[in-house]
Amino acid sequence: MSYGLGILKGMSVTLKQFVESYTKKGSIVTVQYPEERREDVERFRNFPILVYDEKPEAPRCVACDICAKECPPKCITIVRDRDEQGRGLQKPKVFDIDLSVCMSCGICEEVCPFDAIFMDHQFELSAYDRMESLNYHQEKLLKPNSYLHQIRPTDATQIDAKLKAKEEAKKKTQPGTTA
Amino acid sequence: MERLDQLFVLLKKIILQFAESFLPAPLLPFLSILVSITAIAIFAPLTMMYLTWLERKVIGRMQNRFGPNRVGIYGLLQPIADGIKMLTKEDVIPLGADRVTHFLAPVAVVVPSLLLFSVLPFGRNMTAVNLDIGLLFFIAVSSIGTLAIFMGGWASRNKFSLLGAMRAFAQMISYEVPLVLSVVTVVMIVGSLSTEKIVEAQSGWGGLRWFVFTPWGFVGFMLFFICSVSEVNRTPFDIPEGESEIVAGFHTEYSGMKFALFYMAEFLGAFAYSAMAATLFLGGWQGPLLPSWLWFGLKTFCLVFTMIWLRGTFPRFRVDQLMSYAWKFLFPMGLSNILAAGIWYHTPFPLSFIFATWILLLSFIGLSRLNPTGTRLERRTYRFAE
Amino acid sequence: MELFFYLLATLTLLGALGAVLLKNLVHCALSLILFFAGIAGFYILLQAEFIAAVQILIYVGAVATLVLFAIMLTQNVIGETTLKGLGQNRWWALGISLVVITVLVRAIQHQTLPSFLPEGRVTTNEIGHTLVTTYVLPFEVISILLTGAMIGAIVVAMETKKNKQQATGDRRRT
Repeated sequence: MSYGLGILKGMSVTLKQFVESYTKKGSIVTVQYPEERREDVERFRNFPILVYDEKPEAPRCVACDICAKECPPKCITIVRDRDEQGRGLQKPKVFDIDLSVCMSCGICEEVCPFDAIFMDHQFELSAYDRMESLNYHQEKLLKPNSYLHQIRPTDATQIDAKLKAKEEAKKKTQPGTTA
Repeated sequence: MERLDQLFVLLKKIILQFAESFLPAPLLPFLSILVSITAIAIFAPLTMMYLTWLERKVIGRMQNRFGPNRVGIYGLLQPIADGIKMLTKEDVIPLGADRVTHFLAPVAVVVPSLLLFSVLPFGRNMTAVNLDIGLLFFIAVSSIGTLAIFMGGWASRNKFSLLGAMRAFAQMISYEVPLVLSVVTVVMIVGSLSTEKIVEAQSGWGGLRWFVFTPWGFVGFMLFFICSVSEVNRTPFDIPEGESEIVAGFHTEYSGMKFALFYMAEFLGAFAYSAMAATLFLGGWQGPLLPSWLWFGLKTFCLVFTMIWLRGTFPRFRVDQLMSYAWKFLFPMGLSNILAAGIWYHTPFPLSFIFATWILLLSFIGLSRLNPTGTRLERRTYRFAE
Repeated sequence: MELFFYLLATLTLLGALGAVLLKNLVHCALSLILFFAGIAGFYILLQAEFIAAVQILIYVGAVATLVLFAIMLTQNVIGETTLKGLGQNRWWALGISLVVITVLVRAIQHQTLPSFLPEGRVTTNEIGHTLVTTYVLPFEVISILLTGAMIGAIVVAMETKKNKQQATGDRRRT
């Protein structure tokens, strides 16, 4: 027994939306990219970056190869740096991430024991060819710790505190450089 | 003010006077017809383009988003971009398709839609062709369009196109019956089929004699509007095109300009039917201060906005619900509307409105109760194996 | 104005010939539609515009559609042309059609047709008026006939639906 009232109710809802889209401030949810952008959310993950503390030649990464082993599509390639005698150093010589393969799962960040690799927020990374331009080498992936504080403040401060505590603990157990 | 009102008529007179000096006398009627036809041929596609713009913006706003707003300010150049896109698409014809029919179908759909514009009274003295049987011409020509849709579906050699075309056809002829019945009441009261006379019969009393303010006129207006939404295959009656149902129904296999012609026919039909509803029930070009063609445009614009509003609000009808709505509800309503109009005409003033309103209310409530929504289960009857 | 008559006559004849001679049945139906439209044009030339509009509304809008639906239900839509399809009976067909043409032409020639249009146009008002005063009995008989046809169609269609529901055990009442 409708008598057509439901129709009128539905139409009034749509008309209200129409009028409010002109009068009320936040009723249109479109973000007019590229003039406006959405806010940066802290835990947004896109493609990975490597973090260094003081200078780019000494990254936190020790080339342990765990992230390369855990990566599901196997987009990370790591070759450990060796010194003149051929002994292994604690940093990578080659650290390649193929961005066309990376699926932004974040597993590399979760398993890294040295807090060296983190997921970045950059998504405007278009290139003109797939093979070379999207295969990021180590120089392109290294970012300073200040950048990490910028994009992930709470996590970065937590990690810094943890690392400092570890440093203090190591200094305490070292036999007497300072008494 | 008089000059502004008759602006287009004066323009046409100036053109004819200018041509009189160098054209021989027998050709002048042809020139006059040619001027009217050119005006319609420019106005109609332009209207269609900006109706598509209006639809996209309005539906966008109803859905909490902007419509197109990149191409030109407020997206006003979007229809031109759409036109260029459709012109440059490849024309794909399916392998086993009937080439002649496939080629003719879009043309046969657009030509009747354009012909509809010739009997609309755009303003005072501004009907392109003032036929004595204007309204009958309107209805006859729109029934040719339904045939062309069938041609379109058949020629594609695609089972789903054919299904879409059959359903389209069944829908369109079912809704033509209440459409004609609602128009019959107007013709009965006015006594003429000419659109100019119908507009003139609604003049006087400052707009209170518009037929929509009478009981049978109001019901007739509702009937005409609902049936015209169905005749142009717009949501909620767009089973034939059913985007996301049977791919695109009867115009699946058409690409590029042919699809643009089908699309154009739909919007031209929407405009023409809204204009006819404004003429028949809302008093045509009559109105107090503004020029007559502006009033006509405003009334038609309001009705087209309502059609777009309906599209933004409702889901699609199922095909059996659609047919049962036409035959079980709208058609008897149309018949009782004729009865009410006849009684209204023959009884004196206060009684006429009371009788007509009572007849219509009773039939509306009765029909609503006779067509309950939803399905109910019957008593279980068992069939045992013998 | 004679020019219009000849043009229209040519178009109509082409439509009629196409309806008989084409291979594809759907093309035949479309030329039949052209023929109907030509006849409507003739009515306009005779100043009977109401009949012209009704011709388009009924013939093109309804009868042609019926023809198209019937064609869709046939199996072989593309066949041979009518002339080739006759085969052996070609000569009989030619003979009989010649006889019919002769009879019709002689019958028309013997009539004394007026060579001018009647005085005063028949307007729609007059047609309506005579339908309910002079010709009211045929009018009512036709309405009863149409009602009977509609009821018959509904009865034929309804029975099969009820049988189908009983057969499948479908309990819904829609």
